[in-house]
Amino acid sequence: MEADRFTLDILREAFLAVAEEMFVSLQRTSQSPVVYEVLDFGVGLADAKGELVSQGNGVAGFLGPLGDAVQATLQRITDLVPGDVVVTNDPYAGGGTHLSDVAMVRPIFVDGELVAFAAAKAHWTDVGGRDPGSWSSSTISVYQEGLQLPFVRAWRGGRLDNDIVAMIKANSRLPEQALGDLMAQGACLEVAERRVQELCARYGVATVTAAMHEVLERSERLARATLATLPHGVFEAEDLADRDGVGNGPFAVRVRVEIGPDGVHCDFTGSHPEVPGPINCTWSGLVSGVRTVFKAITDPVEPATDGWFRPLRITCPPGTLFTAQRPAPVAAYFESTEIASDLVWKALATACPDRLTAGHFLSVCSTSLSCRHPDTGEDALLVEPHAGGWGAGLDVDGQSGLVSVGDGETYIIPVEVAEQRYGILVERFALNIQPAAGAGRHRGGWGLIREYRILSDQAILTVAMGRHDAPPWGVDGGAVGSPNYVEIEYANGTTSEQFGKASAVTVHRGDLIRIVTGSGGGWGAPGGRVHDSIVADLRGGYLTLDIANSTYGYQPG
Amino acid sequence: MPPRRARVAVDIGGTFTDLVCIDANGELHRAKADSTPEALEVAVLEVLARSGVDPASVDSFLHGSTVVINAITERSGARTALVTTRGFRDVLEIARANRPDLYNLRYAKPEPFVPRHLRLEVTERVSYRGDVLTPLDESELAGVAQQLRDLEVDAVAVSFLHAWIRPQHEARVALVLREMLPGVMVVASHEVSRQWREYERSNTAVLSAYVQPVVATYLAALATGLESVGVDAQLYAMQSAGGVCSFDRALRAPITMLESGPVAGVTAAAALGRQLGIRHLLTLDIGGTTAKTSAVIDGVVPVNTLHYIGKTPHFAGYPVQVPVVDIVEIGTGGGSIAEVDAAGGLHVGPRSAGAVPGPACYGKGGEHATVTDANILTGRLDAEYFLGGTVELETDAASRAMARVADGLGVATEEAARGVLRFAVAQMANALRLVTLRRGHDPRDFTLVAFGGNGPLHAALLARELGITRVVIPPGPGHFSAFGMLEGSMTAQAVQTFVGPLASTDVAALLRRVERDAQAELSEPATSVQRYLELRYQGQEHTLEIPVPAAGDLLAGLVEEFNRRSEREYAFSLDAPLEVVAARVELAVQGIAVPWVADDNDDVPRHPTGTRVVDFDRHGGLLEAVVRDRRSLTVGEVVAGPCVIEEAASTTLVLPGQTVRRDEHGNLVLEE
Repeated sequence: MEADRFTLDILREAFLAVAEEMFVSLQRTSQSPVVYEVLDFGVGLADAKGELVSQGNGVAGFLGPLGDAVQATLQRITDLVPGDVVVTNDPYAGGGTHLSDVAMVRPIFVDGELVAFAAAKAHWTDVGGRDPGSWSSSTISVYQEGLQLPFVRAWRGGRLDNDIVAMIKANSRLPEQALGDLMAQGACLEVAERRVQELCARYGVATVTAAMHEVLERSERLARATLATLPHGVFEAEDLADRDGVGNGPFAVRVRVEIGPDGVHCDFTGSHPEVPGPINCTWSGLVSGVRTVFKAITDPVEPATDGWFRPLRITCPPGTLFTAQRPAPVAAYFESTEIASDLVWKALATACPDRLTAGHFLSVCSTSLSCRHPDTGEDALLVEPHAGGWGAGLDVDGQSGLVSVGDGETYIIPVEVAEQRYGILVERFALNIQPAAGAGRHRGGWGLIREYRILSDQAILTVAMGRHDAPPWGVDGGAVGSPNYVEIEYANGTTSEQFGKASAVTVHRGDLIRIVTGSGGGWGAPGGRVHDSIVADLRGGYLTLDIANSTYGYQPG
Repeated sequence: MPPRRARVAVDIGGTFTDLVCIDANGELHRAKADSTPEALEVAVLEVLARSGVDPASVDSFLHGSTVVINAITERSGARTALVTTRGFRDVLEIARANRPDLYNLRYAKPEPFVPRHLRLEVTERVSYRGDVLTPLDESELAGVAQQLRDLEVDAVAVSFLHAWIRPQHEARVALVLREMLPGVMVVASHEVSRQWREYERSNTAVLSAYVQPVVATYLAALATGLESVGVDAQLYAMQSAGGVCSFDRALRAPITMLESGPVAGVTAAAALGRQLGIRHLLTLDIGGTTAKTSAVIDGVVPVNTLHYIGKTPHFAGYPVQVPVVDIVEIGTGGGSIAEVDAAGGLHVGPRSAGAVPGPACYGKGGEHATVTDANILTGRLDAEYFLGGTVELETDAASRAMARVADGLGVATEEAARGVLRFAVAQMANALRLVTLRRGHDPRDFTLVAFGGNGPLHAALLARELGITRVVIPPGPGHFSAFGMLEGSMTAQAVQTFVGPLASTDVAALLRRVERDAQAELSEPATSVQRYLELRYQGQEHTLEIPVPAAGDLLAGLVEEFNRRSEREYAFSLDAPLEVVAARVELAVQGIAVPWVADDNDDVPRHPTGTRVVDFDRHGGLLEAVVRDRRSLTVGEVVAGPCVIEEAASTTLVLPGQTVRRDEHGNLVLEE
């Protein structure tokens, strides 16, 4: 059948429907809370060259790795056959992030011809390594971070490879979850294969291939069209990345962004070399972080494909915090991915005020709490991100209690569910109101306070938070926000210091863990805030009278 | 005095208020009036007057309205406060903290319906097992009541942690506040939801309280209005989960009136299916702005126990834990606008020309080409017989608007019109696939029941696309939803979260308890009972709702059915133990069997029998199609496509290769 233009339009929508279906399938069948609650996974459909034509994302951080994983698969494995499924979590190769993120790639053949790829990458709860949950904030080499699966075939010609299964089973502390996710990801790839084959049967392979090509071209055209609407010029930002969890830092990072009619170039040259602790990210993490902000300033709504990012160029020499090389530790790589986003964002905030805000709490603020459930006696592992305060915009106050740029359609775990499943007592879940933080003509939004009372004999806590050392930035005279931190109130009445990173800290029955996220930065000097907004904040308890007086110059009456 | 046996159903929609009545002689009446959003009851009384039904003869008055959803979307509800567990007053504002609009770095989350200064805390705490960790501090309640009085609120929601398992603290506080705050509406969360997840349950209680005074005012005004025109009837309100309840009960949990018209369409289709002996059916309800579909499998109307108001791919929306019929809705209807984007790509909807200005062919100033314009240009709609010839359409205006789309695409106008329809039908087919293929069902096992003004026009194309071989178009497809309300089964639902291993749960006792809760909401003993368990593999989050087998080994039956469903829907099953998460019981007191009768009255002039040239695009191109007025078909007569069946508010297209006949109930039946 001839590929008329309406068929191309219809197939464009059909590719999106395939990605959506893969997304729902994986979310519904996954065994890992990080997948089904946090939605820390991405799925996509790529053409035969490995360029992504549609994707379903739960979080922003998968704008690079899926297509890279497919392309690396193509380069490394030359004898792909129908029914093969390639598994990889190699952080330093195509699409790699950290070992917990396991990518799976399935070639889709029709009548012996390679037509497309389906790919899915998801955060498995435990892939072995030194620490429960596999990531920590104190590893010093990748060899402590878990099992490495460097582009191996888990299915060969449709048959599950029991050797690979046995290795995964032996290496994970939670083998049911790990194997459950292997199967769930495999199932979602199979769904994609079925759908693509149906489309080919209906419209013909040539038409489907042409439609994929057109989707990428069209995306590129749309992205290029938006470049004309952006301010052209050179924009620079520098900042400090938080300490690395093993006693080093903070670290200077910088970006130079050049926007022209033909593209956007982000150059991270001059950023700090890779560091001893696990906050390094690799190339795919850097690409994801930058693409997120590129998407935000061009068009947040249009479907993201690899074509969209053709006008974006990224430069960074190897061996930096953003381009770590084997065997640098990368367990908490998302911290540097977010810093990469934040740097570009900061450089462009005043240039693109209709798309960007002042700095936000930035960090995934990941915590992991491992204990034995006091009622069931079973092992429980609570791995979760935390929501925090977002920065003010040119014309609006910041949002309170929203997940970070590295997260997305990520749901925080309900108190009632957390207590049942993990056997902790949540004593408070509230806004973290710091009236002077993020003050401005428009103020930053509030972070959150979440308190866990430990009810088991003991529990192990790991924390990886950024923006503990350096608070979120303000814009145009707006105040900086407040830091993220965790503190522990021990049952004996003493309280720990506030910290942003901790690895495998033991706590005991009766201790209280207080997880606190920060406020976003303000926009504009506080003196310019309108009276009604100050009054409304006082009424809501968002502001105290003395801060209203001292910071905002408010006079009652 | 005439016998008091007339049954009246009135459905308020966004544009029109529809009435359907079966009078004492079994005859059918229909009437339509413009909706009156500022005082909804005005249109109800107007449409009743227009129908010519003798008010004194009305025995049952069944009503579906948009009063609840309007109050929420327009934020015109009561000044509402929230009383919650100490330490948790911000839960309503934090919500679930998700950012569905991933790359919008200026995303704004849903604004809570209760601002912070109206959210108060009380000292109390219950564990997830239902144990009291901190007793309710009664000494605080007088102070709380005083604060609420000072804040001059009209409604109060009370929502405590774990009230889904132990509601006593909530019940006590609600009781005290009702005593201390006469005239203030108090809703406790457990009265509207016994499901866990504190934000969702609190939001449900808050929205229920928020709309309560508005609903009370409206239902009272309506009852008074009906009385003043001489109606002395039992009054029933349409429920989101299908069926009706008394106005009195609706007042106690008004949030259950959230959805009405679209729901009635699905329950009507299910009733029609029962009468015709159809096992699996797909509903297709296409109006001006959307197409809606739902899969009724083995006669069961699908119900979700969590519903989001205003949720889009770019906005989190407001969750409510109330049972709502599971309907998939997409923004493609008759008024959907065709546009070409900056990269030359075609889009149809979700932007709609609405009723005003409407499609370009209405000649009311609509500049944009819509699906209706494309149907006019392809000859599938007759410009001279729109709404039975009461509205004259401007083909030239449609052509001019479509020419602009054609320019953007670089094709001829006729080709653009065909392309717009091809695209729109593909979008609708995706929605139908969503409720069938994507849930593991083969659409070819289904009968398509098409209604709404635009359903019959696109049904044949969709059936062909999905391999469906039978389509049923009921009489009066434009009034079908109101028609469905006439059945008026009284229903009650109860859902209870209960988390534990299936193997060690006393399922029978749990279901008995939930059934008691549901029965308490009904004034008569139920004539039918449906029991469901929400189950999942241990360690999984997402659940599947499984009907509880009526006979045989309960546990084995549940496990087998769960594995089968999981395999079908997700190509995935595990050899893992199952966990119970919730139980749901649906009770009904059967209403009347709706007598499906053909509508052959001649108040609208008949379309003359003849032929016209219709563009069937890929299904034969330009063909001379037989044109018939629906009323002219005799039972048993079979007409082969290509043909077009015209009636007052709808047009049925029949493709070459399909046939159409009229059955003894007045339905059109298309077969391939």
